[in-house]
Amino acid sequence: MAPVTRVYDWYGDGRLLVADLGLACCTLEFEAATLGRPEVDPAVHLASSPAALAVVVSGTVPDALVPVVHQAVAALGRETGCTPAVVAYGACASSGGPYWDSYAVADGISQFLPVAAYVPGCPPPPGSLEDALAGLVGAPA
Amino acid sequence: MTGTHGSIRLVEDRCTSCMICARECPVWCITVESHTEPDADQAGARRPRLHNVLDDFTIDWSVCMYCGICIDECPFDALEWAEGHVPAGPTPIALVHHRQELAPPTG
Repeated sequence: MAPVTRVYDWYGDGRLLVADLGLACCTLEFEAATLGRPEVDPAVHLASSPAALAVVVSGTVPDALVPVVHQAVAALGRETGCTPAVVAYGACASSGGPYWDSYAVADGISQFLPVAAYVPGCPPPPGSLEDALAGLVGAPA
Repeated sequence: MTGTHGSIRLVEDRCTSCMICARECPVWCITVESHTEPDADQAGARRPRLHNVLDDFTIDWSVCMYCGICIDECPFDALEWAEGHVPAGPTPIALVHHRQELAPPTG
């Protein structure tokens, strides 16, 4: 299984790597935020220079995908040797969003993962992801 | 792009605690807490009239869809779109904003 398909060098200076774990519509906003950012191989990158690592979970997480998301974050941690900071991007990842009362949807990824930041919105604008990531590593230069 | 749909604010002077916003919200992210008090100018009346007094008003931004139905439905225009997207929070509880945080900036 290749769980995490894309990892971006967010500021282009190696300070922050951001992995994409997109499940539903919020991912479109995440992709808008990644435009023009270089992709990297996280294992290679982190072997040469230390950097913060974040994984952005965007979209609805149905119960059936809980183990997949959990394993994807664990696999990213294994590949890179560091614990990624998890960002819940959008209402579904934060709390279940409009599906909080559904029998088939997790009430947010904090049910099974430690989360560093919750970004509100349905969907959140790309700019609020910038602010949340800047809050994790300090404001960009 | 975020424009004026960044967040929603509560103008308390206009709110009558009627609960229409909370009932119309498709995702149930609004809570209204209130109690009733007798009208001051009805002190000697045989049957005093009561009015609602708002105790707390919350919006859970970790659930809100920003659909604006609460704003459309409020009969008293007590809810308004506001600029500036609600920033990320460290916990889901931090994204539950109370009346002080929902009030328009003073001054």
